[in-house]
Amino acid sequence: MSYISVDRVFKIYGGRQGPVEAVSNVSFAVEAGEFVSILGPSGCGKSTLLMMLAGLEATTAGAITIDGRTVTSPRRDVGLIFQDATLLPWLSVLDNVLFPIRIMKGDLATHRQKARELLDMVGLGDFHAHKPAQLSGGMRQRVAICRALIHDPHLLLMDEPFSALDAITRDDMNMALLEIWQRYHKTGVFITHSIREAVVLSDRVLVMTRRPSTVVCDIRIPFARPRGRDLGETLEFNAICRTLREHIEAGHRRDRAA
Amino acid sequence: MSADTMDGAGGRVPRMAMERWRPMLLLFPERIILPVLTAAGLLLVWEIVVRHYEIPPALLPAPSQVGQRLWEVLPLLLEHAVPTTLESALGFVLASLLGVGLAILLTYSRLFSAAVYPTVVVFQLIPKIALAPLFVVWLGIEMQSRLAFAVFISFFPIVIATEAGLRNTPPDMLRLCKALTATGWQIFTSVRLPYAVPYIFSGMKIAVTFAIIGVIVGEFISAQKGLGYIIIFASSQADTALILAAIFVLCVVGLALFGAVAAAERLVVRRYGFA
Repeated sequence: MSYISVDRVFKIYGGRQGPVEAVSNVSFAVEAGEFVSILGPSGCGKSTLLMMLAGLEATTAGAITIDGRTVTSPRRDVGLIFQDATLLPWLSVLDNVLFPIRIMKGDLATHRQKARELLDMVGLGDFHAHKPAQLSGGMRQRVAICRALIHDPHLLLMDEPFSALDAITRDDMNMALLEIWQRYHKTGVFITHSIREAVVLSDRVLVMTRRPSTVVCDIRIPFARPRGRDLGETLEFNAICRTLREHIEAGHRRDRAA
Repeated sequence: MSADTMDGAGGRVPRMAMERWRPMLLLFPERIILPVLTAAGLLLVWEIVVRHYEIPPALLPAPSQVGQRLWEVLPLLLEHAVPTTLESALGFVLASLLGVGLAILLTYSRLFSAAVYPTVVVFQLIPKIALAPLFVVWLGIEMQSRLAFAVFISFFPIVIATEAGLRNTPPDMLRLCKALTATGWQIFTSVRLPYAVPYIFSGMKIAVTFAIIGVIVGEFISAQKGLGYIIIFASSQADTALILAAIFVLCVVGLALFGAVAAAERLVVRRYGFA
């Protein structure tokens, strides 16, 4: 049995002009240790899908199982990263990283050491006493990554974590995330609307379209890890990007025709 | 930048001169000197006008006469400033507690909010000063009627501000807390309330001035002591200089109370490092 299994999941909201299908008949599986990106245009329901994986939204129909247990509420072995870093502005960087431990009433003394190690790893070792407002957007998002890792979750759920950053910072963050993956071996589900980002980071990319909001293809990314910056220049990389783009564009054509 | 490039070399000369001039101005604490000069200028004009046109003191005394009267009756004024200050401060504290409490109930209970919020808003619309005599009818002429009126008049801004603050938490932050299986109490104390603190303080700064208004209006109607009482008493004696002297002391009281709230805000903001 797979680590995550999403089985014929629907999410239907009652809208003013009748029901809206935010997620329509999505099924896929993620193995333990896999990094899977869900790629699609805005409004295709990919964030809703992630919120259902996190146990923050209920499914209208179908079932999501993580590690053998049906998801009905949030699980503590999951780390979440949002588009915005969502740090608490009055806490220091270190205290923000320790926030999950404080909420879960864990042992702060031992985790403080771990928080320092995580911050060192993302290059923010000297910034542990800074306030979020003193950091750049990319640095804040690195803090959010450390916070998601502090309680050693098995699964990381990431909702377009780098889409608010500029292109150069975004490339840096992709490399940082690849390094983290190399080191911590988590299972990851990553939402994005950037084709190249999805291919750089993932073991598999699922493409979602609008109307219906469902997964239309599931492509394995064959590149070995560790991966570097030069990956994006290979022919094979670009061929995969082209295939993904064709799937997305086919979805757009169907969308317009509907 | 654009001004420099558009005007060319000709436009640059005055700008350079300005830049040399500014630090010179900054040598003086312009934020202190300028307002003091303005106030002194106004007082001087007032003094000159009163003397030149020989305006009777009962109509408008000169600042020098007000100063003299203030000096004569300062012990009396200070004695009467005590109940006004204490009642304002107590009214404000009660209003803060009630206001924050009510706002918490409004944000946390949808049912309570649906039932109560429209009434709160309608009460907001009443010109509350008009209700002051009713408080005397209900609660008599002692301190409690003034206190109740001060609370009544000053707690709305706190309710509205706190409520806005508590709703100000970023939705993703709440999602993160829920994903970490935080309890409602944990979310409230470690996220929602701190996010609301700057809002609460801005509500409190409005409320503290309202509380003073409430107490003074109460004293106009009912009291046998307090600065409001002195003002009413002095106006019955046509002692305009005393009215203005009492108002001056009242300004000092207001400034002190407002300053206390502002200082508390700075302390909290610095301690918790907002902004």
